[in-house]
Amino acid sequence: MPDTSPIIHRAQKRLSAKLQDGTVLACTTLAHPPSRMGHHPRHIALIQLEDQSRIIAPLTAPLPIGSSVHPRMRLQSVNAEGLRIYDVSFESLQEKTAPMQVFPGYILALTGPTGVGRTTVSRLLLRMTADYAEAVPILKTCERRMRKDERTHCLTKRAFTELKRKGEIVAMAHATTDGDEECWYGYRASDIERIWKKGKLPVVITETHLLQELAAHYGRRSLLSFGLLPPGRSKRTMLSHLLRRLLKKGDRSEEFIRRSLKHAESELAFLRERKDLFDRILVNGDLDTVVASLRKHLPTPESSGYNPRTSL
Amino acid sequence: MQREIFLSGMGQTRFGEHWDKSLSDLMSEAIDTAITSSPCTALDIDLIIVGNMLGEIGSDQAQLGSLASSLLPHRPPAIRVESACASGSLALHTACAFLESGRAKTVLVVGAEKMTDVSPDVIAQALMGAADAEADRPSGLTFPGIFGLIASRYMYEYGLRREDLSLVSAVHHARSKENPFAQFRSEISPETVSESALVADPLRLLDCSPISDGAAACILSTEHGSTIRIAASQIAADTLSLTHRPSITTFPATKEASEKALLEARIKLSDIRFLETHDCFSIAALINLEDLGFADPGHGVDIYRRLYKRKSDAEILVNESGGLKGCGHPVAATGIKQVIDVAKALCKSGERFGLAHNFGGAAATCGIHILEHTHA
Repeated sequence: MPDTSPIIHRAQKRLSAKLQDGTVLACTTLAHPPSRMGHHPRHIALIQLEDQSRIIAPLTAPLPIGSSVHPRMRLQSVNAEGLRIYDVSFESLQEKTAPMQVFPGYILALTGPTGVGRTTVSRLLLRMTADYAEAVPILKTCERRMRKDERTHCLTKRAFTELKRKGEIVAMAHATTDGDEECWYGYRASDIERIWKKGKLPVVITETHLLQELAAHYGRRSLLSFGLLPPGRSKRTMLSHLLRRLLKKGDRSEEFIRRSLKHAESELAFLRERKDLFDRILVNGDLDTVVASLRKHLPTPESSGYNPRTSL
Repeated sequence: MQREIFLSGMGQTRFGEHWDKSLSDLMSEAIDTAITSSPCTALDIDLIIVGNMLGEIGSDQAQLGSLASSLLPHRPPAIRVESACASGSLALHTACAFLESGRAKTVLVVGAEKMTDVSPDVIAQALMGAADAEADRPSGLTFPGIFGLIASRYMYEYGLRREDLSLVSAVHHARSKENPFAQFRSEISPETVSESALVADPLRLLDCSPISDGAAACILSTEHGSTIRIAASQIAADTLSLTHRPSITTFPATKEASEKALLEARIKLSDIRFLETHDCFSIAALINLEDLGFADPGHGVDIYRRLYKRKSDAEILVNESGGLKGCGHPVAATGIKQVIDVAKALCKSGERFGLAHNFGGAAATCGIHILEHTHA
């Protein structure tokens, strides 16, 4: 089969649904893979994914049957038209989660598309629960100081890369800001651990990447994960709702809104496809109701399951 | 079967590397032998069914029905069927359908494949067409890889040891030594198999059937009688991709086709004396014996242990021809060659029933034919 653009486009669309952790059911090493794959032996496995579907995919190293694996996008080749072809490889999960096998404590994560009201909800919630919840500051690379915000720590790209190299950043993602500026943002492990030490519950605002990386680092059960959806039954009504909210803010450029909506579409799909990453999905129709129902599901310091100081 | 169908003629080329013969030459040789061996003449043939998988890639040749028809003086109508390695049995099944309906009275079935004209890499890629191009191929999987996955899982589930798996190819080579049409006519020891080059872990080079050229032809007729009749012809299908199956250590298509075939032939499994099974890779032979019901899951190798010791009281004789490993595997010719080998074994021994089991891909298509020796 030729590696033409439409074929690759379809293949990559299917692959994104398969970006899940899984278990190796069978594994083989091809001594002579097809020539388009290069000449090194290739390890290929039949993997059972979390959603119970199966996939045949390469492994980064041969693994015994029953191993837990984690997906990773890898550049496979560049075709004649200059299209970069990515492939999902799976690697052993054990190495990644080994440092965090002890339950470290809970983190409250709010996930949802831009404009759904994550920031507003978290602000309200934090105001009501200031005695036992605290926002984790976001580290963000920016060239010039943008809007001042007590919850955002700006630093230079170099400083961010340095932190990343040292492994201090547990989750990070890439974004384009309103000013058309490329930036990285993420959360620092020390910030989260500082809040735990105070005996408080860290609150983070995430999106697909951050949530998955936090789950991979601290373990899924550390996350009290809430997905926020805009009101509406169909994708279209949800998106038009988001559009209205973004327009109401008034200070966003048209390009930013267009990009946000496009991104929102994939975030909505993520909320639907990766239900396993969320404890509860809430519809943000009325702020008070959402905050009230969030509070209801929060562990209080008195409740038995939550005692960060002893779990650390 | 709705009508009595006889195997009135059969012929095949030697399987192997035929650098001096084209696809059409191979077909012609098999057809000539089949017609010569039968009581009818070329002009009695009403219809040709051609089985072929790789004509376009191996020989730049499509329209194989017409190509086969051109080899006969009266240019009978012809149809090509394709279902990868099961093309041969599917061609036979199609012929049976025409004969049963009365649309044809004598049908020539020919399976031919020319694989050695292009590089092994091209052929390996083309063979991967027998798996799911969207679900299986992008990972870089090859067909030995598919059976490597199956073998690794089988070993994990049933604790099969490498040295036991090596018995399969050793048995097949011991049988093909006696077969003048076989590609490999030398014995190999199980140790040689275990020590051969790694192809797709845990499968080694001598676990895999080879790339071969060859053709095989049969004449099936409701008019021209013979001592061998087709007692059953059944096919079954399964998902193309392994990813859609609940288990990869068993092939449900084999079970389904064999149950239907035994019902059609109105016999019990124990009536079968000769079995030609589709051992494209050694592990497949073990799974096939289990799916056909000759062994319990995980115990297929017990039969090969007995065959290796050449116990004459073995309940079933498997791949007396040498199987795909010993004889070679020109994809679409295999299903027809298996039927020819079962017929030869029945005629020679005077036993009554034999079964040919042929599958395509990882048993995504399975074809089963039961032959009866009427004078037994």
